[in-house]
Amino acid sequence: MGLGFIIGVFGVLILSHAAYSTIQYRGLLKIMEEEFSGPPMNVVLELLLGFVFCIWAALTVPGKFLSIHPDSEENRIVSLSANLDFMIFNHRAKAFPLEIDMKLKH
Amino acid sequence: MAGHSDSSSSEKKSSEAMNDVPTYSAENLQNNMKVIYYSRTFMSIIGGVLAGILGFTGFMGFVLYFLVMAITSIGLIAKAKFSVHAYFDSWNRIILDGFMGGLMSFVLFWTFAYDIVHIF
Repeated sequence: MGLGFIIGVFGVLILSHAAYSTIQYRGLLKIMEEEFSGPPMNVVLELLLGFVFCIWAALTVPGKFLSIHPDSEENRIVSLSANLDFMIFNHRAKAFPLEIDMKLKH
Repeated sequence: MAGHSDSSSSEKKSSEAMNDVPTYSAENLQNNMKVIYYSRTFMSIIGGVLAGILGFTGFMGFVLYFLVMAITSIGLIAKAKFSVHAYFDSWNRIILDGFMGGLMSFVLFWTFAYDIVHIF
């Protein structure tokens, strides 16, 4: 998860850098008094690269898929919740002598 | 009726001989749905930022949204190593789930990015 997270942050940084480049490009167009039809080609490439990084992060960071077949290899152990209903105390350990000292200590 | 209800998380469903209901680990299915939801939400946000930076307005933006969702679906199917039935109970879950939920996030971030890049 660490590496995927870093790649995701990287992708977002690349996208914000592309946004900043587009803002500067628009400023330039305003000076030259032309219409904005689309960002320049290197910004489009940068957006694509950032997008690919973000896709990779979106698929790896949230976690793995777990198999839902009850008899598959990784679902072998069934664990019950640690519920008071299932805790028993009337077992053979009561045959051991008590270990606690019954006298009060000052 | 091949459906099942999501009851308590650690129990496995027992299959009855009469109805032949398929058995699933509901906890793992919920985990997989959560993974899909996170992935789709993040990709909707990134798609929105992309649409805003590129300067799409109107219909083209929604075309980009469907494109990003299709790419996310393909990515999720590839993540499940193309054996969808080992991780989900039907195709609809991995393809359609979270489609419309991401639309709101997409439009929000589309508007944000468009304003920041093109208007201010």
